[in-house]
Amino acid sequence: MQSAPLPETLANLLELDPNSTVVMIVLSLAGAGLIGTLMMTNTALAGPWAKRKITAAFTDRIAVDRIGPYGLFIIVADAVRLLSKELIVPEGVDRPAWDLAPLIIASTALLGFAVIPMGNGIHLADPEVGLAYVFAVASTTSIGLVMAGYASNNKYSFLGGLRAVAQNLAYEIPLILTGASVVIFAGSLQMSEIVAAQQQSLIGPLPSWYAFVNPFAFVLFMIANLAEVGRNPFDIPEAPTEIVAGYQTEYSSVYFVLIYLGEFIHIFLGGAIIATIFLGGPAGPVLPGIVWFLIKIWGVFLFTQWARSAVPRVRIDQLIEIGWKGMLVLSLANLLLTAVIVGVTV
Amino acid sequence: MSLEKPSRDTALDVGVTEDGLDYDALADLLGGHVLDREEHVNAEGFVIRPDEVQEVLSTLKEEAGFDHCACVTAQEYDDRYESIYHLRKFDDPTQELSIVVPSPKDDPHNESAARVYDTADWHEREAYDLVGIDYDDHPDLRRILLPETWQGHPLSQDYNQDQPQIVSLREHANPLEDDKRSEDDPDTMFVNIGPHHPATHGVLHVETVLDGEQIADLEPDIGYLHRCEEQMCQQGTYRHQIMPYPDRWDYISAGILNEWAYARAAEDLADIDVPEYAQVIRTMSAEMCRIASHELALATFALDVFGDFTAVFQYGIRDREIVQNLLEDLTGQRLMFNYLRLGGVAWDLPEPREEYFEKIRDFLDDLPHKLEEVHDLVTGNEIFQMRCVDTGVLSKEQVKQYGATGPVARGSGVDYDLRRDDPYGYYDELDWNVVTEEGGDNFSRVLVRLREVEESARIIEQCVDLLEQWPEDDREIQANVPRTLRPDPDKEIYRSVEGAKGELGIYIRSDGTDKPARFKIRSPCFSNLQTLPEMSQGEYIPDMIASLGSLDIVLGEVDR
Amino acid sequence: MSSDQTPPAVEDVSTQEARMGDGADDRFNSTLREAFGSTPFILTKFDKFMNWVRGSSMFMLQFGIACCSIEMIHTYAIKHDLDRFGSGVPRASPRQADVIIVPGTIVSKFAPRMKRVYDQMPEPKFVVSMGSCTISGGPFQEGYNVIKGAEEIIPVDIHVPGCPPRPEALIYGVAKLQERIAEGESSPVTVKPYELEQFGDLEQDELVDKLASEIDEEDLVMRYNWNDSP
Repeated sequence: MQSAPLPETLANLLELDPNSTVVMIVLSLAGAGLIGTLMMTNTALAGPWAKRKITAAFTDRIAVDRIGPYGLFIIVADAVRLLSKELIVPEGVDRPAWDLAPLIIASTALLGFAVIPMGNGIHLADPEVGLAYVFAVASTTSIGLVMAGYASNNKYSFLGGLRAVAQNLAYEIPLILTGASVVIFAGSLQMSEIVAAQQQSLIGPLPSWYAFVNPFAFVLFMIANLAEVGRNPFDIPEAPTEIVAGYQTEYSSVYFVLIYLGEFIHIFLGGAIIATIFLGGPAGPVLPGIVWFLIKIWGVFLFTQWARSAVPRVRIDQLIEIGWKGMLVLSLANLLLTAVIVGVTV
Repeated sequence: MSLEKPSRDTALDVGVTEDGLDYDALADLLGGHVLDREEHVNAEGFVIRPDEVQEVLSTLKEEAGFDHCACVTAQEYDDRYESIYHLRKFDDPTQELSIVVPSPKDDPHNESAARVYDTADWHEREAYDLVGIDYDDHPDLRRILLPETWQGHPLSQDYNQDQPQIVSLREHANPLEDDKRSEDDPDTMFVNIGPHHPATHGVLHVETVLDGEQIADLEPDIGYLHRCEEQMCQQGTYRHQIMPYPDRWDYISAGILNEWAYARAAEDLADIDVPEYAQVIRTMSAEMCRIASHELALATFALDVFGDFTAVFQYGIRDREIVQNLLEDLTGQRLMFNYLRLGGVAWDLPEPREEYFEKIRDFLDDLPHKLEEVHDLVTGNEIFQMRCVDTGVLSKEQVKQYGATGPVARGSGVDYDLRRDDPYGYYDELDWNVVTEEGGDNFSRVLVRLREVEESARIIEQCVDLLEQWPEDDREIQANVPRTLRPDPDKEIYRSVEGAKGELGIYIRSDGTDKPARFKIRSPCFSNLQTLPEMSQGEYIPDMIASLGSLDIVLGEVDR
Repeated sequence: MSSDQTPPAVEDVSTQEARMGDGADDRFNSTLREAFGSTPFILTKFDKFMNWVRGSSMFMLQFGIACCSIEMIHTYAIKHDLDRFGSGVPRASPRQADVIIVPGTIVSKFAPRMKRVYDQMPEPKFVVSMGSCTISGGPFQEGYNVIKGAEEIIPVDIHVPGCPPRPEALIYGVAKLQERIAEGESSPVTVKPYELEQFGDLEQDELVDKLASEIDEEDLVMRYNWNDSP
């Protein structure tokens, strides 16, 4: 499954010199553009359309069906309309923090995809610290959220921003600790190594995906991930019925699109991390790797939407309590246990 | 059968006899305080001096057991102002007493009852706002329904409706500076929740002082939907023009329950007997309304706790839609039924009757399954329980102090249901239970509503059986009522029914014309909402939102 | 009530002019259009596309006032499902909404707040007024506290009559609004609106003098001259 990173693949494909720096920079940018476009396409599909359709399916409705086949043109309409709206800059906002926040929220999540192996050679870079890099980048989003909340000069935004940072702190640690337990298994932080380590067979046709090897860690990670991406039961930074729309209350037009987009990219990034470290990355029978990879991240997306439709939201103090007293302890236990088991068996 | 009232302690039974209250004994208890005695249709009225209100009321509360101040009515006569305190007992609401407090025309004021009954606080503010009586020793006498800057008191006789008014929009803009309400605690933050906010169930404004995420102080600010319902009813004729308005008080399709409140008061005022057949139809349709109302209460509560327009919310609406269809078949409207008439109902059941009964039966058959689904999704969910158990707790004493009624009171273990305790319609002939829960928290209130839906279904089922077997030549839907109804002058009545949210009472005073001289609505939500600060002090914002949801207020009824 | 009195004839403004307000409906006119001045082919096509976009997709403001909001909830929910028309996403924050459905009676205390919420929405924004109360005050028209129609506060694009309108009626109203936007012919209607203005800017009279001690000069106020109501 080991394959060269995308820029080199492109260089070979175009018969250019892979040792030339200029060529590699250009091709890296091209590769980044390609992956960015791919993820944006998924997000565009998910945000205005799939999310509505999925929610509608959970609630016995139809949702958009008048505009184009299955209402698909709503994607164009929604995107263009939102971008063309008036951009309101409320009085008293703290610029440029207010302007930067949406950019940070949207771009940080996108950066994480750089090290995710998506199969078929779609893999921008493969540094040795891949997993650490993903976690680092994904948690940078909190800065954006706090900036948005603080700079908006709105009390609801303010509360939302503070909630977001409290939540991310409480769940980032279990998330990383659980991720670390996988690293112990794989013996490497490198994404391609982690994927490769999951290729053997566990029992019969069942591959040794870490979700099967250590289901407990998988469950922990899924829960922590829900909090990380802010979906029910942990959607308290937005909490529409409590603090209106949280940190995004004052944003309109382009900025709102960026935040909205960022949220979805973030969900997909969470899905991509789960797919890579627990579900064997792009591995799967018959279909090409990239298709399997997309199926897996959409599966995680579906899960978040399911939780959103069916699970009540916890309260902020309960959330912190679950995070620090429950998840953290459990993930530490998981880490130690894994370390002991791996230490004994290897 | 639990329709029997549990036995009560007998220490406070001054004047209680087998056949009702002995008012002489009560008058003896009060001694020289009673200046005069008036005969109201519902109860006797004792006239007392304006500066002895607190003394008289606390005597009645402490020694005669009148623990429920149902309503405070204020009105202006040609020669005086008058406040009437309608007292009853939570144990037996048929034991009623009105305390009439006249005050002089030129400087209307009397002692406030807010120190005796907490509920009188808002009621007296409303009386001050609309009629213009000053209450001495009131903790906080401000306008409540109209804006602070309003000129004049609209229900007083010399009010000029055409004078211009100025309403201000005050803001609390900066979240981080100069924004604390209390001087001694600089770390608090003032937040306006509402009047436009997704969780306030309409246009309620909750002035909240936050200490971190916790609520340090809170005050509901109402009046954003004050549609002058009392004025409208005072301008309408008894027979036809008033009936459409009750539908719009508690508009969550509790229309028939509200119409019944007016119908009951007006029928007792004018001595109209309603045919039994019509009573059964009223009972059945009223319970359908109760189901519809509780379904929406559940749906919006789920919206508050689940956080979005999610499955539970949508399922609640879906189930409501079925009840609404049944009601539409019966009344011709989805929401504003205008179906009851004084002395009966507008028309008989829709033809073919069998088909209609079949539809109702189908609905009732499906209901247990749907409720089970709701229990699976909502009340059985651990996170839901974590959120709702032991949050927003309201004790029995607080319920009684604030005059909270309906599911809110029953969720705190106060066994008070006017359908049983002050029977009307066909309820006392049917077999059903009054639901109570002891918890007093958000969870109990939700559970009470869910179980009340089951009881309502039982009532409907029995009504359908009765209606099906009703002899065809005896289907009288309307008593003989004069075309223009003019009740005798100076008759006064306070009558209440068990609305979807609690005790919905109407006070009417007639003056011999075809329109009421004073029409006062005692709204259950108005009293229930007063308990919100008690429930949410020191709790988190999400709990306050949940408590608000579990109170199930309707702003149309709070503000009227 | 004021409804049956003729408003004082202050100036010679035709009803039509009074209803249209100053200038044409410029919600759609982009700066691009202003720069070009005329209607070149490409801009016409672009306008057409933008109209289609605005007519096909809209976020609604989650905004409930009174009885009609119950029917509005039903319109969003399972059976009627307004989202089929691409307009069923309720946003709690006005900054992200395109359409405000005004579902219920507006009273004096709420009108300034509603005006504020409307002002917070980004252009182009549209208003659907739902129910008789937002047309004329409906059954409460004679009340001392009731604003006689949403048009006195904010411009209205579509009226949906009824008390309350059925969900089908509201869907028809929204669909009609979408159709009009798609054809680029939406023009809002305002009848002599009550404006939010600073208290200090009000004309001095008895009432203003009386309130001077209660209201700051800078406070925004709305002054209701009931006699001028239509």
